[in-house]
Parts: sequence; C-alpha cells; structure tokens
Amino acid sequence: MANILTLLFNGISEGALYFLMASSLSIILGLMGVVNFAHGALFVWGAYVFRMVFIQTGSFFFGIMAAMVAGFVIGFIFEKLFVSRVYGNVGAQIMITLGLSIVFTELIRVFWGPTPLIVTRPEFLAGVSHIQLGGVGTVIISHYRLFLIIVGVVIAILGHLLLTKTRIGMTIRAGVQSGEMVSALGININLYFTLVFAAGGALAGLGGALFAPLSQSINPEIGNMFQLDAFIVVVIGGMGSFMGSAVGSLFIAIMIALIGWYVPALSSVAPVTIMALVLIFRPQGLFSLLGLLRQAVKK
Amino acid sequence: MILQRLDTIRKIEVVIIVALAIVLLIVPHVAGTATVTMVSRIMIFAVFAMSYDILRGYVGVIHLGYALFIGGGAYFVGILFTQFGVGIPMLLLAVVGTSVYSAIWALIVGKISGKSGMIATAMITMAFAEIMRSLMTSWFTVTRGADGLPFRVPPPFNDRTMMFYASFIFMVIMAFLLYKFTKSPTGRVWQAVRENEQRAIFLGYNTNRARTIALLVASVVGGLSGVMFGLLNRFVNTDLLDMQMTINAMLYSLIGGTGTLFGAILGSALVVYFQNLLLDLRGVHFIFERWLLFIGALYIVVVMFMPRGIMGFYYDWKDKRAQKKRLLQEAKLPPQLNDEA
Repeated sequence: MANILTLLFNGISEGALYFLMASSLSIILGLMGVVNFAHGALFVWGAYVFRMVFIQTGSFFFGIMAAMVAGFVIGFIFEKLFVSRVYGNVGAQIMITLGLSIVFTELIRVFWGPTPLIVTRPEFLAGVSHIQLGGVGTVIISHYRLFLIIVGVVIAILGHLLLTKTRIGMTIRAGVQSGEMVSALGININLYFTLVFAAGGALAGLGGALFAPLSQSINPEIGNMFQLDAFIVVVIGGMGSFMGSAVGSLFIAIMIALIGWYVPALSSVAPVTIMALVLIFRPQGLFSLLGLLRQAVKK
Repeated sequence: MILQRLDTIRKIEVVIIVALAIVLLIVPHVAGTATVTMVSRIMIFAVFAMSYDILRGYVGVIHLGYALFIGGGAYFVGILFTQFGVGIPMLLLAVVGTSVYSAIWALIVGKISGKSGMIATAMITMAFAEIMRSLMTSWFTVTRGADGLPFRVPPPFNDRTMMFYASFIFMVIMAFLLYKFTKSPTGRVWQAVRENEQRAIFLGYNTNRARTIALLVASVVGGLSGVMFGLLNRFVNTDLLDMQMTINAMLYSLIGGTGTLFGAILGSALVVYFQNLLLDLRGVHFIFERWLLFIGALYIVVVMFMPRGIMGFYYDWKDKRAQKKRLLQEAKLPPQLNDEA
C-alpha cells in the first residue's frame, strides 16, 4: 500500500514534467495546426542551459530562468525563420520541425559532447522525507518531486487563467477555433503564432531544466524520449486542449510509474498501445469526454 | 499534368537509363571492395526510399516509423540465421516473415491514418518504431541490443560481387514493380488522394482502401529492402530501427524529388556519397564527426527551398518545353518568327 502511494507520488511529479511539454505542444497544435517535432530539442536545450548556468552561478533560480529564456529564444527563431514559411502545408511542417530537431540535438553534442553529464540537485530541495502512515507503512516523499508537483500546479493554474480570463487568452482560444475569423477581425494572428510558439519553447525549456536535477544525469537523447510521451499525452488529452493535456499527463505518468514497477516489460508498449487505440476509436481524445459530459449537464 | 508526364518517357531517357545500368554493371570489375559495397548499399537504400516515396509522394502519408521495415527485415534475417542456421530456406522464411510483419504494420497504420489524419499518423508511427526499438533492445539474449548481432550469410550472398548483382537485380525489379503500381488505376487514385482526398471521395473512390494498398505495397517493399540490407551488412543492431533511418528515407526521396519514384535512386546515390565524404573529412576537423548536423541542415534547406527535388526540376523543365512545342505547333509558325514576336 505504501509502495503504491510512493509510486503514485512519483508518477504525479513526473506528470508535471509531461504537462509542461504536452500543454505547449497541444496549444501550438490547436492554434497553428503544427506538430512541433522539435519540442524535444527545446527540452534538451533547457536541460543543458540550466546545467551550465546552475554550475556557473550556483543559483537554481537563475538556471531555471536561463533555460526558459533559451527555450523562448530558440522557439522564436524556429517560428520566425522556419515554421512560419510553411503554414498550411502539413507535410513540410512535419519535415522542417524534424530537421530542426536533428540539427539542434546535434548542436548539443557539438557544444557539450555526446556523453551523459551529471547534474546535482540544489541543496534546499535535495532532501527526502519518510512519512509514517499508520497501518500502511512508510511513504517516501522526495522534496524535489514535491517541488515539481507545485510548479506543475502553478503553471496549470496560471495557464488556465491566462487562457480563460485575459484578452490574450481569449484571442488564442478564438484562434484555435478559427484562425481566419480572428485575423478577419483585424487581429495580427501571426504575432500570436510567434508568441505562442516561443512561449511553448519556454515551457519545454522549463521542463528540461526541471528534469535535469530529477534524473541527475542528462544526455542529448532525453528530448526525444519526453517528446514521444508528450505526443501520447496530447493525443489522449485531445489535440488543442490545455486542461485535457493536464489530465492526460497525470494519467500517462501514473500509468507509466505503476506499469514500470509491476510489469516493467510492458512499460514502453502500454502507453503507445493506448495511443493507438485512442486514435482508432476516439480520435478526438479520451478526455474530451469530460467536456462533452459538462456540456450535456449544462443543457 | 502529372498524369501526362508519367506516360511520356522519351527515347533519350531510355538511352540514359540503359547507359547508367551498363556502367553500374561494370562497377564491381573495376572498383575496390569499399566502392562496390557502397554502391550496393546505395541500390538497396534506393529501393527503401522509392517505397517511401509511394507513401509520401504518391498517397500523401507521412510515415515516421519507416525504420520499422528496414530494421524489421534485417532483424528477421539476423535472428533466423543465428538461431536456426544459415541457409537459403531460412532466407526464404525471412522473406515471408518480413512480408507478413510489414503487412501487419501497414494494416494498423492504414486503420489509424484513415480515421485520424496525417498529423496523428506521423505521431503514432514515430511511436511504433520507438516501441520496436525498445523491444529489440530488451530482447537482449537474442538480439544483443545496441551492440548488435553479427551473422554469416549463405552463398551466393557471401560474395561481394554476387551481392552487388543481387542488389542490382533487386533494385531493377522493385523499381519496375513500383512504377507499374503507380501507373495502375490504384496508383491514379493514390494521386487523387494526395491532391484532394475529399474530392476523390466525392468521385466515388474508396480512398481508405487505396491508402491501405499503398501502405501494404510500400511497407512490404521496405521490409524486403531490409532483408537485402541484412544480407549486405551481415550485421544488425537497434540503430536500424532508429528515427535516423526514417529520416534517411525521407531525405533520399526528397532530394531526388518527391512523387517522382526514380528520383529516390538519384537522391540515395547523392546522399550516401555525401555521408561517406563527410565521414572521410573527420580527420580534417572534429566538426565532421557530427555529420548528422550537415545532413539535418541539408534536409531543412531542401524542404524550404527545393521542395520538388532534382527530378522535380527536370520534370518542370520538360513540361515547359513540351508546352512550348505544343503552342508552336498550334500557331503553325516557324520557331524563329514566334521567338521574335
């Protein structure tokens, strides 16, 4: 029992990382119809820039900030110079972001070498608490994982408020519904495209920066790994849905944690199988079911 | 326009193709082993890329797990040879096994692409290849994971020259078959699906069926190229199931010309040669160790500035010429007069 609780806790904390990747991917996909196959590269850049700044300045906070700035800037460059030229051509978008992902992952190898690098956790988050629960045993709570959950929740709330309560968010949601209509109303939708893409890059960078101290070892391959899981979350949560990706992240992360512990042989197969089943039977996403229910209740 | 173009092969083109084929056949008698192996690899990759072009260029499916087929075929050969002994019967079994395996993947992908569109297909196929790679990595006792599985191959394939001719025959047969397919009624429907699926549906074509057939043909041919690649390399590891192999297939067909089929042969020759060149430059500067950087950059440049590839350029030029000729004939004017006007 305590074992399951620990696994759940670990799963939720990794869900926070998936959420950072998947929510930005999902919004970019919803707004621009672009699957950013270079999102993993942004994640890796976040991790490496974080490590560099963290070691240089010794400040965890500066490291995180630098990673987000790096993600924002690279995302901005991706959109402005490359992706914006192929809007409307799905094939070219997929291929160009794939090419960017290869080039930027290789650049990591050029600058920092292909071998894994070690990252330490900041001292104030390095601890572990053992919580004694009457009757069920000891649950192990890593402080860093707790911090991840808090960051995930904060980002989810901020993102939700930004999307539902502000004018910018309203425009983005309107753009997801119909980009043409938005630009017909005199709003510069291209500016929003660039900003959303860059902000998505910043979130991916943040994800990478937060992942580095969690695994304590980073290599250029981690981006692709996380990107695949983020794709699965995006499909399961419904493409273009912010809250859907939050629910999807939790679902996938907890599932991976539980299966990874009890049936490790299936840990890589199970999520993709679920993705395939969702695509065949519910292409609109598993958690758009929640939205449908809510609508039915309102009526 | 595109339909017309496929029908008209000019005499000069036939002459060039036959001349190239003869030059190719002489290669093993004049070149060293390294070159012979490289050209064999080019020819096998050309088949892999042509089958990819059926999907990307003809029917408009972006399959990001294409490594499943070249890797799968090579693993069938490798595992059967190491587990059950080297021999022609095992090779035949590998061919059958690969075909079935490729067909199963094709049916799954066909089901998904019919329901959820291009983007979802791209995402899921990428995940499929990744699953297969992790399965092969974890099945360490048989596949030896990333370290790879070396094996012996039966005669006549153990001779470099014979392997070269085998690859050549393989390429010619597959190119002919795929060309016939693109010219068949089903092939015409593929192009209709790529250009405007909705319209094709309205015209009464079963586009899902056409797409599934394309996936079946392409996947099986891709799998067979994996069998050939296994025979050539006598070694298979998880790198063959890596995303990189899919990117290679995309790059070959892209540079040669998407939707031109034979362009893939040209693209494969150019890129494999370029890769070898970059690897040779490793001693000059350490940056060439990261040859993938250059391949990736080349790939972006081609997608952005040369989306129709080399053969695309050639066909455009040919079209323009034919059009000019037709206009001149219609006007019934001597060419020099028309030019002055």
